[in-house]
Amino acid sequence: MKKLSVIFLVLFLGMNANAQDAEIPRDTSKHLEEVKIIGIAKRKIETEMKMAVSVDEFLASSENISFIKRGAYAWEPLLNNMSSERSTLTIDGMHIFGACTDKMDPITSYVESNNLSTIDIKSGQEGSLHGATVGGSIDLKRKSTPFGLEKKFSGAYQTGFEFNNKQFYNLANASYAGDKFVADGSISFRKAGNYHDGNQNEIKHSQYNKFNTSLGLAYKISPLSSVRVDAIFDQAKDVGYPALPMDLWLSRAIITSASYKQLFEAGLVRIWDTKLYFNAIEHYMDDTTRPENLVHMDMPGWSTTYGLISKINLQEDRYSSEIQLNVYENISIAEMRMYPQDRSKRTMFAYSWPWVTTRFTGLSMNNSWEISDKSQLNFGGSLGLNYNYSKYVEFNRIFYPEAPQKNNRLLPGLHASYELNIDQFDFSIGTGYGHRAPSVSEAYGYYIYNSFDRYDYIGNPDLKNEISYEANASAGFKNEKMSIEAKANYFHIQNYIIGRILSLGSPMNYQSVGVKGYTSLDHAKLFNLTINTNYDILQHLHWKGVLNYARATDDKDGNLPFIRPLSYQTSLHFMHKGFSVQTSMNGDFKQDNYSPEYGEDQTPAYMIWNISGDYTFNIKNVKTALQVGAENIFNEYYSTYADWGNIPRMGRNIFTSLKFNF
Amino acid sequence: MKKTTFLLAVLCFAVMSCTKDKTNYEAEIDTVVTEHSEFKEVLAINSNGHKISIEALNGTFYMGYNEIRLKITNVQTKEKVNASTVTFLPIMTNAGGNNTSCPHSYDLAYKSDDNYFLGYSVFTSESNTNESWKLYISYTVADQTFAVKQTISVQEQSNKNLNITTFTGNDNEQYFIALISPQKPNVAENELIAGIYKFNKPTNPPVGAFPDPSQFSYTEVSGYTLLLDPRMPEPSMGNHSSPNNKNLTQQSDGLYHGVVNYTMTGNWTLNLIMLNENGQTLKGTKVPGDFTPGVEGAKSELYIDILF
Repeated sequence: MKKLSVIFLVLFLGMNANAQDAEIPRDTSKHLEEVKIIGIAKRKIETEMKMAVSVDEFLASSENISFIKRGAYAWEPLLNNMSSERSTLTIDGMHIFGACTDKMDPITSYVESNNLSTIDIKSGQEGSLHGATVGGSIDLKRKSTPFGLEKKFSGAYQTGFEFNNKQFYNLANASYAGDKFVADGSISFRKAGNYHDGNQNEIKHSQYNKFNTSLGLAYKISPLSSVRVDAIFDQAKDVGYPALPMDLWLSRAIITSASYKQLFEAGLVRIWDTKLYFNAIEHYMDDTTRPENLVHMDMPGWSTTYGLISKINLQEDRYSSEIQLNVYENISIAEMRMYPQDRSKRTMFAYSWPWVTTRFTGLSMNNSWEISDKSQLNFGGSLGLNYNYSKYVEFNRIFYPEAPQKNNRLLPGLHASYELNIDQFDFSIGTGYGHRAPSVSEAYGYYIYNSFDRYDYIGNPDLKNEISYEANASAGFKNEKMSIEAKANYFHIQNYIIGRILSLGSPMNYQSVGVKGYTSLDHAKLFNLTINTNYDILQHLHWKGVLNYARATDDKDGNLPFIRPLSYQTSLHFMHKGFSVQTSMNGDFKQDNYSPEYGEDQTPAYMIWNISGDYTFNIKNVKTALQVGAENIFNEYYSTYADWGNIPRMGRNIFTSLKFNF
Repeated sequence: MKKTTFLLAVLCFAVMSCTKDKTNYEAEIDTVVTEHSEFKEVLAINSNGHKISIEALNGTFYMGYNEIRLKITNVQTKEKVNASTVTFLPIMTNAGGNNTSCPHSYDLAYKSDDNYFLGYSVFTSESNTNESWKLYISYTVADQTFAVKQTISVQEQSNKNLNITTFTGNDNEQYFIALISPQKPNVAENELIAGIYKFNKPTNPPVGAFPDPSQFSYTEVSGYTLLLDPRMPEPSMGNHSSPNNKNLTQQSDGLYHGVVNYTMTGNWTLNLIMLNENGQTLKGTKVPGDFTPGVEGAKSELYIDILF
């Protein structure tokens, strides 16, 4: 680790020496604002269809993301058709790990759309800035108001009702932007009942209640430096998971951080940003709401993480770079305790996560060099050290008697890409190589019930690192009226981790049919292709279309599970003055390449049609927007390839929303 | 840096302490299973100027297997007495006046290193108003044989990991299986040690003064095998079992050693099949291996329940 730092340091000193006789940097940042050196496409948290969306709905509108859904709440995002272990999911770069062994609480469920500003999605090794990854990174960016805005106070209030599941929500946020002091706050409530499918049947156990609040305070200690503290508190209660045999009684998260940011007017180093963070999650399931359960199992889980991020941004002439140090420690604990219907007696106790500590230290860098006005080279890499410790290793030794209590892994990563712009055409080509360590469940999980294939899963502490070799390319054309872009990526992943039936195991969970152990396939191959088009038919009428294709196979050319079939989204958007109407269609084709081996059945094709209209007007200084719309207008009865237990999705849903901005 | 993290952590814990407490795993296992490791005096008999002292684990005779350490000292000088040929015979008398014994070592072996006589007794019942246990001990000092007897109290064994079972085999002989180790199992592969004993039916009527040891003779069987299939019997566990178990075979200490793998704490049944030295089944039936949630697991004809 130290050696590496020294190498980097030497590397930069070398560059610095060259930079001595360079002229004064062209842009000197004098104000403390969000300075983006390596450009990332930023998107506002709203989709074209709906201006009040949940974080999940927003992510769903991104072409790289698909979801595993276990109900109406807390969808697990899949990036590049890879499960969430293969991506790094962070909030402002902070690592947070869900406390549920059944992945009922991805990180995205602990934030709310009104405390986020954008979501950065990076594919493959380009996303290694926040830690070792294979699939890429999803970074949820919190709102952070700049200092010294002309308008000191601003805020928004949004309320709405959705008829299908009687969802009622209230979201409010406000900020103050002084010259020396900045505050951001938000609060939100959502309450939803059971939703109804396309056949008007109520989907029992699909309700949810969510409360979220956040506060951020920043203080400028000098013209070029500031400190900031942030906190998010999130609580979900009585959340139903129709695809699982149990529901959530309570989950709570507290996500905190304190950061120091220093800007530099001249020189190679432009920004130095350091953050300490702490977050804790508790997650308690409840299966007493299901009368069909003859036994009850308490499955409480806890996940606590603290860490440090320190990042510097460098810029010199046509070269810019980000270097980030990531350090974190997480402890994940999950218990299983079974009771017969008489709760005073107990049947068993075991740990599904036997107090597993993960300690990660990594240094990452992304560089970008504008070779000319038309071409740019991006390259970077990361090196991480991953340490695991299982306190009650005896549970892991049941199936793997030789399992070590401690495990160290070295996780290198490298990537490079070249971008070329010729007139109206854009091209890029890139490659990457990276390792990832198995997740806590994959390495140390014990009898984790997976209700998709109905197997109990056992982790293997001796799994090898997953090694990804990646290639990607894109080509695009753009003029005033239209744009078209095609992007493709290909991953060859060695030691691909997946559950395989263990002949010696005996199942334990009530609905289970057998035991699977996480094992490494020799390799797996994944290919993703996206075609994106925009066309401005008239000045106020725009058309957009996206087509996604993916294919993934294991080492015996069998299909991998949870790969999205050929899918499309298309939308038409008309606006005139304060009035706008949009309609969209999306759907999947028939799932041809499904995988019965991993518990999948074929999912038929479906198509959903949505429409919405909104009107924006001003009441004095308050910008007001009113929206009415309908999703799934034809009330199609469908479920997608990634819906657990083939639970049907929501039928026709009429939604209304009112938003005030001041 | 560390201080800041610490302060931050303290602050956060103050803001939000956990709603439900985490299980204290070690403490919980301790409350279910108490482990005894200390030998203490159970009884002392003063007779003929000798003090005969018997030690057992926790100073108590429990139902099931008991290791026994016997010491003979001079009452006055408190010094060791040079005794030989120490015999040990527990007899249980029931309300009807019938006498039976239990598996035991009749001739105690002298351990010169520790200076005591070593043996065991596998009590098959607890002392109660209808059944009382008495020990008959004899020893020889300077060519003179002394005999003493003493009523004892056999207590209930609350640790189910030291259970016993008594049965009649297909060969019409009476057998006893006593669990000896582990006292306190772990979620792990545990070395399982059991003793298998057989009652030797007397061939001749009793002779001499009561008790005639030939009427109360037991032996450790040799060359047998215990086939092991541990399962969790409760309906909710659906006949759950574990991998990597090993059948019990006899080792040089005369006891039967195997491996039982407990995947979690709770109630377990050790389903057994006892084979004699020729591989013939003397007792026990194979249990189904199906996962049957909601149904109480079927047990072998020969089984021992444990709990930890």
